[in-house]
Amino acid sequence: MPIAETAHEAQGQANEEFRPKILAFCCNWCTYAGADLAGLNRMNYPADVKVLRVPCSGRVNPQHVLRALQDGCDGVLVCGCHPGDCHYSTGNYYAKRRMMVFKRLLEFEGLPPERFQIRWISGSEAGKFRDTIVQVTDDIKKLGPMAADEPSQAVVAALRAKEGEL
Amino acid sequence: MNDATQIVRERATALLADGTVAAVVGWAAGRGDHDRHVFVARTPEEAALLVADQYCGALAAKRVLSLLDEGKIALVARGCESRAVNRFMADRQLKRDQVHVIGWPCPGMLDPATGDALKRCTECQRRNPVLSDEVVGDPVPEPELDRFAELERFEQKTPEERRAFFQDMYESCIRCYACRNACPCCTCRVCFVDQERVGWMGEEFTADQARYYGTVRAFHTGDRCIECGECQRVCPQHLPLMLLMHKQVRDIDGLFGPYPGGGMEPEGPDPLRTYHTDDLEEFM
Ligand code: SF4
Ligand code: SF4
Repeated sequence: MPIAETAHEAQGQANEEFRPKILAFCCNWCTYAGADLAGLNRMNYPADVKVLRVPCSGRVNPQHVLRALQDGCDGVLVCGCHPGDCHYSTGNYYAKRRMMVFKRLLEFEGLPPERFQIRWISGSEAGKFRDTIVQVTDDIKKLGPMAADEPSQAVVAALRAKEGEL
Repeated sequence: MNDATQIVRERATALLADGTVAAVVGWAAGRGDHDRHVFVARTPEEAALLVADQYCGALAAKRVLSLLDEGKIALVARGCESRAVNRFMADRQLKRDQVHVIGWPCPGMLDPATGDALKRCTECQRRNPVLSDEVVGDPVPEPELDRFAELERFEQKTPEERRAFFQDMYESCIRCYACRNACPCCTCRVCFVDQERVGWMGEEFTADQARYYGTVRAFHTGDRCIECGECQRVCPQHLPLMLLMHKQVRDIDGLFGPYPGGGMEPEGPDPLRTYHTDDLEEFM
């Protein structure tokens, strides 16, 4: 087996059996262009991320995030232009507020924060795109598949015993 | 008969008799002891059936929206109903001149079975109507309480415990949509759940679907919620839905606040329907 060159690859080898499915919503005008540039520059990043192009981060209905996590994705990334740089001027400002509240709501219900991440990546930030994908993939690999989040029997039993007291 | 009932009946009778309004929305006695339900009075005779006492647990406001074709509607409104009226106006469901608000400073409601204060009333921050055309009775002192106390207790749990808790909760939900139908914020003509599947729970009913519904419903109303607690009151499974609502209200207050809660003002913008360019940045 070749010696792993980076911590990332070492991690990958350790979890060889688990290839996460990660969905990345990328806005057409910034992050998708950034991803394109990363490709043109032949940057390497894990192929576990599936890029879904959307017109604007403001187009990403937060419920899509939950649906993706329920329908087989192990992590979701939502990306858009830097605040102030939105092609439609304001879309990402709205997205930011929505995602801030929705992310907290999902975490309140017990979702590990790493499974739902949001990042602003401009069209020229190919490096940031690559680094983000590497980092998110690492995070999700550490967590394992969604099924790994299932609470243990002990926690469920303790909860049932305390039924009614909140 | 208590004073409020007496005055509400008199006022309703007068408003109906002189044609100011086509109907009065309030409460009437049901069959059981202390059983009260939302009631629409269209004639002076029906107005004599109205009741306004400590057992009027239901939020009457949403009934107004289905009556607008009949003309101007009067609503007996406590703090929560008046906030719902503001909510309707901000959501363009109602114009101010379509409703005559009979304000009723709220004494706090009791559970007819146990005589205890209703949960939603123990978390209320606004008993006096926020708007009215006339008021029945004297203003009451506003309660000074911490409506987030339950939330803060709950947040002591670990993420794994919360995960188990909500899994349990969503397994119990029967997707009757009572929480949506009772909510004064839920006024979309076509709800997102019905865009995907019409009717009640399908054969493929799962906790995941209940979570999708429950979480997204809570989020859709999160920045408009008037914290009336009606969703939780009507839930036949007694699910603690206000945890999700209080969580969002408190987050919004902390992140974009100060935020007094939905329905305090007749106009928006609601916190998630606006932005500031200098909003907190955590996604860089
Ligand atoms: S009222 Fe309760 S049981 Fe009915 S859909 Fe809402 S949460 Fe589920
Ligand atoms: S979500 Fe619940 S508490 Fe909030 S306005 Fe709707 S019914 Fe009332």
